[in-house]
Amino acid sequence: MRSGEKRVRTFQDLVLALHEYWRDRGCVIFEPYDVEKGAGTFNPATFFGCLGPDPWRVAYVEPSRRPTDGRYGENPIRLRLHHQYQVILKPPPPDIQDLYLGSLEYVGIDLREHDVKFSEDDWESPTLGAWGVGWQVWLDEMEITQFTYFQQMGGIDLDPVSVELTYGLERIALFLQGVESAFELRWSEDVKYGEIWHEKERQFSIYNFEQADVERIRRMFELAEAEARACLEAGLVFPAYDHTLHCSHLFNVLDARGAISVAERESYIARIRELARACAQNYLKLLEERRARVLA
Amino acid sequence: MPEFLLEVGTEELPALDAPVLAAALARTLEQGLEEARLPFQGTEVYWTPRRLAVLVRGVPERQEDLVEEVRGPAVVVGLDADGNPTEAALGFLRKYGASPGDLVRKKVGDKEYLFLRVRTPGRPTGEVLAELVPRAIRALPCRKTMRWDSSGISFLRPIRWLVCLLGGEVLPVKLGSLEAGRVTRGHRFFGPKEVELASPADYVEALRSARVVVDPDERAGMIREAAAQVEAEHGVRALWTEELLGIIVGSLEWPAPVLGEFPAEFLDLPAPVIAAVLHEEGKFVPFARDGEPAPVFLGFRDGKEDERGYVRQGYERVVKARLRDARFFFENDLKRPLAERVPDLRGVVYEARLGTMWDKVQRIREICARLSRYLWAEAADREEFGKLLDRAAFLCKADLTTEMVKEFPELEGVMGGIYARRSGEPEEVARAIEEHLLPRTRADELPETELGTALSLADKLDTVTGAIMIGEVPTGSRDPYGIRRAANAMISLVLRKGLVVDLFDVIDAVAEFYPRLPEGRGPEEVKSFLIERLRYILRDDHRIPHDVVEAVLAVPRGDFSGLLERARALASLRGEASLAEVAQLFERLRNITGDHTETSFDPELFQQEEERELWRAYLRAEGHVRRALEGRDYVGALKALLPLGEPIHRYFERVFVMVEDEGIRRNRLSFLRALLSLFLEIGDLSRLTT
Repeated sequence: MRSGEKRVRTFQDLVLALHEYWRDRGCVIFEPYDVEKGAGTFNPATFFGCLGPDPWRVAYVEPSRRPTDGRYGENPIRLRLHHQYQVILKPPPPDIQDLYLGSLEYVGIDLREHDVKFSEDDWESPTLGAWGVGWQVWLDEMEITQFTYFQQMGGIDLDPVSVELTYGLERIALFLQGVESAFELRWSEDVKYGEIWHEKERQFSIYNFEQADVERIRRMFELAEAEARACLEAGLVFPAYDHTLHCSHLFNVLDARGAISVAERESYIARIRELARACAQNYLKLLEERRARVLA
Repeated sequence: MPEFLLEVGTEELPALDAPVLAAALARTLEQGLEEARLPFQGTEVYWTPRRLAVLVRGVPERQEDLVEEVRGPAVVVGLDADGNPTEAALGFLRKYGASPGDLVRKKVGDKEYLFLRVRTPGRPTGEVLAELVPRAIRALPCRKTMRWDSSGISFLRPIRWLVCLLGGEVLPVKLGSLEAGRVTRGHRFFGPKEVELASPADYVEALRSARVVVDPDERAGMIREAAAQVEAEHGVRALWTEELLGIIVGSLEWPAPVLGEFPAEFLDLPAPVIAAVLHEEGKFVPFARDGEPAPVFLGFRDGKEDERGYVRQGYERVVKARLRDARFFFENDLKRPLAERVPDLRGVVYEARLGTMWDKVQRIREICARLSRYLWAEAADREEFGKLLDRAAFLCKADLTTEMVKEFPELEGVMGGIYARRSGEPEEVARAIEEHLLPRTRADELPETELGTALSLADKLDTVTGAIMIGEVPTGSRDPYGIRRAANAMISLVLRKGLVVDLFDVIDAVAEFYPRLPEGRGPEEVKSFLIERLRYILRDDHRIPHDVVEAVLAVPRGDFSGLLERARALASLRGEASLAEVAQLFERLRNITGDHTETSFDPELFQQEEERELWRAYLRAEGHVRRALEGRDYVGALKALLPLGEPIHRYFERVFVMVEDEGIRRNRLSFLRALLSLFLEIGDLSRLTT
């Protein structure tokens, strides 16, 4: 019997256990950021938190929207919205891998009875102007975590570097609960994951693949981009970043809708990256001017 | 004599990089030791995902002393009239701590100098190594580097510990924030965290007890052995690829086999689909029984047998879930015949300016129509060939709209073939679709069938032509459309199959099907881009000497196989004196004809015997050359040209070409120009360096 099986029975137990584990290791427990995004990396607590010289440790859950991954709720593990558990450690401690493995044990995975591999996977986000080096972590050959040493964010070389741990919460919960479909997961003792999410998966898949009005979404993209630029000019870096996130999500919707050609893709990505770069540069300027911590 | 051990402890290195880095580390250490006059008996190289290690056997305790003769001032400067050292010589002696009695006189050229024999005592080996090791680690060739702390060190993955032992002693080596010691680390889950090494000789066995097999060959042996056991017990054959074995060896410190099974109900899936699932989800080894997929697979856990079967359960669950997905896709895809999907390609964007995949397919068909005039044109069933090729071209991209290919992009083409067969298309058509992406790279396997070859050529030619016509010419490392790779693969297909086809004719013929844009390019740029790729392939893949490549490509042609054959002919005769002579005369021939392009001449206007002699030689050669070229016998053509060297030489000695009389002059120039043209059938021989 796995040591933690009793304790971590539900999806929310898993989140709470990770919160405890990382709180005890000096992390700020942050909340999901309330703007739509494709990954926890886009949360300002990561994007801005990785910039600048100050140490920063943060952990939070991020509901991550990936329109193209939608399967109308018909695929047991492929989801339009999945939950990432995101940890940032800046600078990374030398025993970071052991710390990470410790968190798996903490939530009830017996590492001596399973197979854990760190398999090369270099991460890159062209829209954020960010890249890093690291691994996918496989548990019995199921991918459960992306483990990345960020090298650049917003086009800026990071010093110190940060480690980002991105746990796939549904995957880990599937493993812990021994079920094969995310919709079968116990969210709480009384409520199933599917009861909360299934209809949303269905509706958003229809929306993203069939319904979204391409012209209107394109216009929304233009508007968000213009708004971001205006904020940047006014020296308002955080509002500018929110609108950059809108751009990124609207781009993803257009992509799922099949409305973006190869050539357009590059130019859309470049436009978002430009905004992200400008946000990063303005944030660093702000840090300098204030000579004080302005935490993400 | 002591042994030396260096171990660089890392976080998990990418599976295929560790062996390259370990070999490089050994090489740098070996070179460093040799340069430092430290002969050793041999080295052993070990690595796992978490360590690179080099064990050097039989290192001397210290360097040999170095005795060098050092030159000081000239005798006239260093010694006064009485033969006593001057201030200059005394300074020289002070520098090396020597006395006047040590000075030796020696002549260099016609001048005499004062010399000292200077002995530099050998340094202890440990000192030399302590300097060498950090340099060797920093010099490791990483394809990508990262930083993990602020020490300024960068590497492929974080370096976390160093072991550096000479005999029983720890060498004082520092790298960034790390100091070398004698403590290595055992297996992440099944070994002690720290393992102290008394001496280098203990390395392999100490780590074995810590559940780490440091010798990659031994790990490969364990893996093969496990697979062989499955083969024997289940009457199956393992489907290895070199890459799969490399990845497994490179991702484990102690391979422990875990045999999994999947339900036989999935065996009705096509073999490539099953293999794709097993390869994708964690590097499992697939097996076949009598050429058909078998419902077993072999995975490897790191460190320890899976006694309770939890790992096996996990593997089986992952594989089953993915096979279930795959079957769902397969059954959905089969609901429509492949041909019905073709119009859907109108909804798949290929490139904004080049249109949809439907447009691409139309262009591929146009190219195929031209190609079938060249390829296998002698075949009696040429019309049938053309029809089948067009059908295959029509269908070749339809699998892009299938669920399976969206999920497993590496099955593109292969699935098209399978679905074509299931839709009742002719077998030849199915095979051609299956093969039409081969070769993917210069070194990849080739299509086997003629239809597959033609279709592959057409597809790649469209990719390259399209991209260049819209102005997407690769620059530096920027090649977003992968044009270089496509062009390389296409040229490699032509050359390795020896296809006789004039690509330039085809490009001209289909140019009208591409958009003409202000920023776009024309067919000529497509041709020169292909010639550039050919230049590189001739040199790199076919080992044609640089000057021969230049000679042949100076006269660009669309028949790339012919260019390769010309290059081979030139290379084979490269050492011959007669070729060198012709090559020299070539330059003169070209200089004198200049921009004169007329080639018809009147032999009646020849005045000198040397002219007529050369004319007769020309006539003899021309017949041979034309016949040889027709038979694609380029050695024959070249050999027929070589005897022209002597008469040309005599001609230039005796005949003055640029005479006053315009008629005579023009006739002479036209004749020489005709002669030059004959040489140019092979290439610009003046580029030869011999």
